[in-house]
Amino acid sequence: MGRLAQGERELLEPLMQRHHRRIYRIALAYLRDADEALDAVQETFVKAYRGAARWDPGSEVGPWLTRIAVNHCIDVYRRGRRVGAVADPLAETDHDARAADQAPSPERRVLGRELAERIARALRSLPPQQRAVFVLRHYDEMSLPEIATSLGLSVGTVKSSLHRAVHRLRERLEGLRA
Amino acid sequence: MRGAGGWLHERWRRRVSLLALGALEPAERAAALAHLERCPACREELAALRDVLALVDADPVHDAAPPLSAAALAARVRRRLDVSRPSAAARGAMLRPLAAAAAVVLAVWALPAAGPRRPPAAAARPAEVTDETLERLEAHVAREQAVRYLNAAQDVLVTVSVARRDCERKGGRVDVAGEARRSRELLERRPLLELNHARVASARPVLDDVELVLRDVASLEACARARDLAAIQRLLQQRRLLMKIDLMTRELQG
Repeated sequence: MGRLAQGERELLEPLMQRHHRRIYRIALAYLRDADEALDAVQETFVKAYRGAARWDPGSEVGPWLTRIAVNHCIDVYRRGRRVGAVADPLAETDHDARAADQAPSPERRVLGRELAERIARALRSLPPQQRAVFVLRHYDEMSLPEIATSLGLSVGTVKSSLHRAVHRLRERLEGLRA
Repeated sequence: MRGAGGWLHERWRRRVSLLALGALEPAERAAALAHLERCPACREELAALRDVLALVDADPVHDAAPPLSAAALAARVRRRLDVSRPSAAARGAMLRPLAAAAAVVLAVWALPAAGPRRPPAAAARPAEVTDETLERLEAHVAREQAVRYLNAAQDVLVTVSVARRDCERKGGRVDVAGEARRSRELLERRPLLELNHARVASARPVLDDVELVLRDVASLEACARARDLAAIQRLLQQRRLLMKIDLMTRELQG
């Protein structure tokens, strides 16, 4: 990161190689729109490059990037740029070649799309911070202290947010079957 | 009224939520499991929460991968950085040729004013600068032209590689009107590129590949069939064109 801060842009690519899939998945889970998620990945690394000098060498890069990405997603959501839009997460272009090799059947895709829409609506019903906490835990399997570090919250707040989020999701998704 | 028992049970409910999410420390987990042994309401709640989380586990987003490679995304990030604020190095690179061009203009402007009475050595100095500078200017212009063209083409092709806007006029089709128009504009600009200069000759094979794909995109209907678009997307992937463009622009920019 220190070299990135000195303007060595060629280091962006290996950094993105390590983190862009994870950041994309988090952004897609949060924003539920493939284009917005791709923009979020791009903006995350633009901001990381510009802020590289402020990165604390004693901390890990992953949570720092996650924090940038989630803050960007929350901003996008609050600006209401994508109100009501639902992604088609099974669209062919959302998958790389390895995923395409295991493409689901058309019936499965339709079911998956309906499920994704219901989940998207349920997630949208959560306040931005609760949604961020739930996404990081459930879609990125981050530990509670990692989530707390990434979002600048206390572990207690993370626990409360998760508890409230999962109950709100239960209200919204109960009765639905995978 | 909610007494101490109610408050205590609320604490257990929170632990049950975290248990369902697999987010309890081993000691807390053991305590929660012991509580579940004697609390049917919490057992029922745990089962319901696990059902909900199993649904979220089936969300296809878990398996989603970005439609662009890290290399293509890195190229987009670099372009975004260039557009918003050139670095000191980039500003220097842009200013150097301008300074050279200014030197040429000054030299040409100074020649008539100097007149025939000037000593020959003084007149020869601007001519020496001009030859070298002109060569650098030509190379610079050719490189800049090629880089701008490749960047514009990459913008179109990146959009094509992720295009999924539904066409309003025809159901089941994809709106690529903008991409097709921009491809036609780029194809018209292609013959104007100055590719004879040795510094940009290496860009020709990539530009030929770009032209091939742009022709396909330009030939699409405004409301394209998804399979026609998918064929172009496959071609882009097979030829690894976005990556080649990225590498070539970097080579041209030195």
